[in-house]
Amino acid sequence: MATMSDASPAVARRSVVAPGPMALAILIALFLALFLVIPVGTVIYVAFTEKGSGAFTLVNFYDFARTDLFITSFWNSMYVATMTVVLASMFALPLAYLTTRFEFRGSGVVQMLGFIPLIMPPFAGAVAMQLIFGRNGTVNLLLDEWFGFKIPFMEGLNGVIFAQAVHYFPFILINLSAALRNIDRSMEEAAQNLGCQGFRLFRRIVFPLAMPGYVAGASLVFVKVFDDLATPLLLNVKDMLAPQAYLRITSIGLADPMGYVIAVVLIVVSVLAMGASAWVMKGRDYATVQRGGGGLAQRPLGRGQAVAAYAVVGLILFLVLAPHIGLFLLSIATVWSFSPLPDAFTFAHYERVFAESSVFIKNTLLYATLAGIIDVVFGVAIAYLVLRTRLPARHWLDWTASAALAIPGVVLGIGYLRTFFGVKMPDGTSLASFWIIIVLALAIRRLPYALRACYAALQQVSASLEEAAENLGANKQRTVRRIVLPLMMGGMLAGFVTSFATAAVELSATLMLVQSTSDAPLAYGLYVFMQSPAGRGAGAALGIIAVVLVAVCSLISNWIIERNQHLRNTRT
Amino acid sequence: MITRTITTFTLLALAGAFMPVQAQAPSGKVTVLTSFSKDVTDPFKKAFEAAHPGTTIEIQNRNTNAGVKLLEETRSANQVDIFWVSAPDAFEVLKDKKLLQVYKPKATGIPDKIGAYPINDPDGYYSGFAASGYGIMWNERYARANKLPDPKEWQDLAKAVYFDHVSIAAPSRSGTTHLTLETILQGEGWEKGWRTIKEWSGNLRNVTERSFGVPDAVNSGQVGYGIVIDFFAFSAQGAGFPVKFVYPSVTTIVPANVGVVTNPPNKAGAEAFVEFLLSPAGQEVLLDKTIRRLPVRPEIYAKAPADYPNPFKDPSLGGKVTFDSNVSSARTAVVDTLYDQLVTFQLDGLKSATKAIHAAEAALAKKDNPAGRKLVAEARDLVAKMPITAEQAASAEINAAFSGGKQKTARQAELEQQWASSAKAAYAEAEAKANEAAKLAR
Amino acid sequence: MSASHGVGIEIRNVNLSYGANHILKDVSLSILPGEFFAFLGPSGCGKTTLLRLIAGFNQADSGDVLLDGQDISRLPPWRRDVGMVFQSYALWPHMTVARNVAFGLEERRLGRTEITEKVSAALALVGLSAFADRYPSQLSGGQQQRVALARTIAVEPKVLLLDEPLSNLDAKMRVQVRRELRDLQQRLGLTTIFVTHDQEEANSICDRIAVLNDGAVQQVGTPMDLYQHPANLFVAGFIGTANILAGHVVATGTERAFQIKDGVSLPLPAGSAAPKDARIVFRPQHATLEPIGTQGLAGTIVHREFLGATVRYGVDIAGSEILVEAAFSSTSSLREVGSPVSVAIDIDRAQLLGT
Repeated sequence: MATMSDASPAVARRSVVAPGPMALAILIALFLALFLVIPVGTVIYVAFTEKGSGAFTLVNFYDFARTDLFITSFWNSMYVATMTVVLASMFALPLAYLTTRFEFRGSGVVQMLGFIPLIMPPFAGAVAMQLIFGRNGTVNLLLDEWFGFKIPFMEGLNGVIFAQAVHYFPFILINLSAALRNIDRSMEEAAQNLGCQGFRLFRRIVFPLAMPGYVAGASLVFVKVFDDLATPLLLNVKDMLAPQAYLRITSIGLADPMGYVIAVVLIVVSVLAMGASAWVMKGRDYATVQRGGGGLAQRPLGRGQAVAAYAVVGLILFLVLAPHIGLFLLSIATVWSFSPLPDAFTFAHYERVFAESSVFIKNTLLYATLAGIIDVVFGVAIAYLVLRTRLPARHWLDWTASAALAIPGVVLGIGYLRTFFGVKMPDGTSLASFWIIIVLALAIRRLPYALRACYAALQQVSASLEEAAENLGANKQRTVRRIVLPLMMGGMLAGFVTSFATAAVELSATLMLVQSTSDAPLAYGLYVFMQSPAGRGAGAALGIIAVVLVAVCSLISNWIIERNQHLRNTRT
Repeated sequence: MITRTITTFTLLALAGAFMPVQAQAPSGKVTVLTSFSKDVTDPFKKAFEAAHPGTTIEIQNRNTNAGVKLLEETRSANQVDIFWVSAPDAFEVLKDKKLLQVYKPKATGIPDKIGAYPINDPDGYYSGFAASGYGIMWNERYARANKLPDPKEWQDLAKAVYFDHVSIAAPSRSGTTHLTLETILQGEGWEKGWRTIKEWSGNLRNVTERSFGVPDAVNSGQVGYGIVIDFFAFSAQGAGFPVKFVYPSVTTIVPANVGVVTNPPNKAGAEAFVEFLLSPAGQEVLLDKTIRRLPVRPEIYAKAPADYPNPFKDPSLGGKVTFDSNVSSARTAVVDTLYDQLVTFQLDGLKSATKAIHAAEAALAKKDNPAGRKLVAEARDLVAKMPITAEQAASAEINAAFSGGKQKTARQAELEQQWASSAKAAYAEAEAKANEAAKLAR
Repeated sequence: MSASHGVGIEIRNVNLSYGANHILKDVSLSILPGEFFAFLGPSGCGKTTLLRLIAGFNQADSGDVLLDGQDISRLPPWRRDVGMVFQSYALWPHMTVARNVAFGLEERRLGRTEITEKVSAALALVGLSAFADRYPSQLSGGQQQRVALARTIAVEPKVLLLDEPLSNLDAKMRVQVRRELRDLQQRLGLTTIFVTHDQEEANSICDRIAVLNDGAVQQVGTPMDLYQHPANLFVAGFIGTANILAGHVVATGTERAFQIKDGVSLPLPAGSAAPKDARIVFRPQHATLEPIGTQGLAGTIVHREFLGATVRYGVDIAGSEILVEAAFSSTSSLREVGSPVSVAIDIDRAQLLGT
């Protein structure tokens, strides 16, 4: 007996560095190198070359620092990203807190509606927000008529902040809600017992404990906003970094390196932001559901409190769903011009879209599903390697995959064209024109989301559960398959949903890569429709279809997650 | 709807199968890279596929610049047959980079010129298939609500009443806007042209990044007035939007073009497509109410609605300016960058200077003051001041900074910073002078 | 930290239900000032619910809680001034030990210097002055427990509520900490309620115990009372080890006996009134093993446990097992499993209880 128990840890330790995980790590590294590092490298190396000679230089960064426009843009981007986090927090905090820590009827519905803003097709969001909140949008026309003043919701940087906060606040909502649900009731009760209550209780105890979740969501919002180019451009704000990079990279005849210099700056700032948030939260991942704890406390709301709570939630939901409301109105409008509501309503746009665009819908479902699956597979694999093995340099896989968050879609698109266009397929066509390339681009762009979800899910699976399986004779592979994966199912599905939902409405990388309409996804179809006056309604209809489609798929996944967890809970 | 199309298609395909095979009969997939919207491309796709059974048109939609970029990036294994956009400049760029090949259409009955502009590239790299003019589009409901008059000329948009009501697409992003600026510069000369441009630019509400951003904002009433290409306004009217359009006298009617890309995968198909666009059947599609472009075949206008503009009959349309595309292409990047650095990215400074000038002039109109007049004139000169001359703009040294050429010249970022800072200082000074003038008039 | 004068707690006819679950059934208790009182019972008996009711985390459907004669039933938790130590300690992981302890004082808006003083005093009291700047995750279980205690007593609450405070400690720590708790309580004179399922804990440190089962108070008394005079079978079985034999009382003339089975009966002392159907209850140490054939109940030894100072035998008597404890002197005095014996019961120490 003694010899056996002495020998088994040694065997286990040896198997950790065994060929299996090693081969897996090499496979992932190859994938990331081929579809992320090399394509992006081919684009941004220009930033480090001297004009004319092509020699290595940093003079371009000197130019960047000396150009007022770029410096203004840099600080504008910082300001917008920071203020978006603040405003998004103001949207997310009440929704998350009220729906998780109180007996709030309809909290499921609120949580679901709170996810919808993430599913906003390109163009559609800004167009619809202009129609509702713009200078001559519904709200301002009514305000002007009734009270004789207008509110500049959508003007300049503040307009960008508003639109971005509406779009990205679900990242904070999702992470914060999860963190709030993990706070044991005794944490709050101990504070109440010592005389603390109300907002002080939230500020001193609840929020600090939910901080890891909040920071995870907030840093994601910061990076996404910092790197986003579509929303500022659609609101005609150009003095921000990402729009500057885009304008330079895609403008005709401009071969200057500044676009790529800005891309490098974007990547560096994003990686720093993610790193800083990880550093701030180091060692603070409080496991607050403790032995002998009381689980989740949901306090009842008094009558007055309930009225106030529903009013706040209703107002926030109206604000964040306004783009979808506007988009829906646009999709059933005949003409909507300088008036609070459209002149008349019609379903002709839907008829047109269904007649012409079913191929887009089919492609979108296919691409987004494949991208989501790829993301979850790689997400689980990377999370497993990082958390459960001692491979050297395993963290680099995590960091590299996460860096994809900071790569502007257009940089990735151009990189793919450069890298894969010369590669010929057996039938003589270029690899870059094969639709799989679009799927891979989507997968790389969304991998960070799925990776974070899988990482969190694996963290929650106690290592002792695996050890129990191994002790009973299951080898590593069988343990992963029979114990780890089933327990991670919820997190994996959550990762899949986020990847799927956001990939389904992604345009920036695909626009560069779509080589034929028959391979195009829905976002591209929407872009094409939105280029003409008669196509606006049809584009909006396509947008609504995209939102409904993605929302339904997400709902189904969510239902599966919950059923799964319910089964598990009743079993134990 | 789908079923019918498929049935027709199958019948045509079957009929084609039983016909004797012709030597040059187009077949298979024809890939068209275009900036035109679905409303434009769909009718042509349908008509072409019906006329040439066995072919399919594959549309790739990009904005003009992204399209050029794509052809550049993919030249090693080109998969595009046709490049089909409005801006002649884009074709000039592609021609220079040897990304187009010569094709002289067989179609006859098309005049050499429309207005003062030659319809086809003299070297035969691309051909005009429809004409468009540039002008001012506005939203009638917006104009009525803000009690604004109808504009007629570019200079009208510089009036104080239009302050904060006008929109334009950045010329660096929109080939059509670039042509509008170039038309004004060629029509009025470098210095005076820029003065006009900056004067109405001071009234801009915003500078959009997409061509379609302007008509979109005018259609929905977010902005009142837009500087656009005519068909944006006509097709918006066709879709029922309450918008109007006018051609200023300094405009040019330029052709929208089509060209065959170097090494097309389907050469026969590409040539058939060009021929179809120029044929009477193809030209008639232009009158479609979602397209509304000016055909290059004069006889087609007989079938057009009564108020349809006809550049072959109406001498005021584009007659005043002879557009020289050589002059234009020699300074494309410089003009675009100048506009970006002096207007787009300095819009706040330019607008406050313009606002101060408007205020000073309003004050002087009530109570005249010669010193004030002089200050305002100085302020206007400061706003109009250009960092470089027309000669410099066309010079090799400056253009090399934008070409990514192999010589070691000034870097683009350096030049931009110089231009931007000079403009910023000038606008600030102009604002100060105008404010001083307003004080004198008080 | 000065010794405060403890206050009394009065619980009057408290009822509490969750839906159809009647958790507390007409509970009434009176806890004296300065008393160390225990709620003892098996898990699910309602003892923690009753404690949380005093702290204000549960609301009674009916009945009142009086603190020092004042009704606090309607006060929210943060205005009750009752200190509670949670089973999980509920130390906030984002605050240092000192910040945790200072929390309640800050909530009471005390001055900065006063807070510093009271925090050091509280930490000194539990012997953790050196750990003020550590985070809870850097402490052992026993240290965390003491921080939780220091945090609670720092605010000088009127009463102290302890929810299974020893359950997360190992056996040795448990004995040490419970003694410290008792010392501290004595020094402070603080009325304390201690919730536990472990009778040994309750017996060793509490002045009085309320035994709860199924939401109702079974008996209140000192540990020795409960042991010697259990009011019912539940208390008898729950406190200490007891032999419980079913049977009925038979009377032959003036002689009365407790008949377990036909032919197996115990003579009862005169005058003891008992219901006809009853259980006889006695402790293992109140029975002795005698040679077979002598007076007593005949049986067979079925198992033997060595407990150190004593040896516990299980004896099968007519199908029921009776536990008998004998002092251990040497291995030669041990009896083997399987050997027949006679069990003599000290009937004066046995108790008859109704069913």
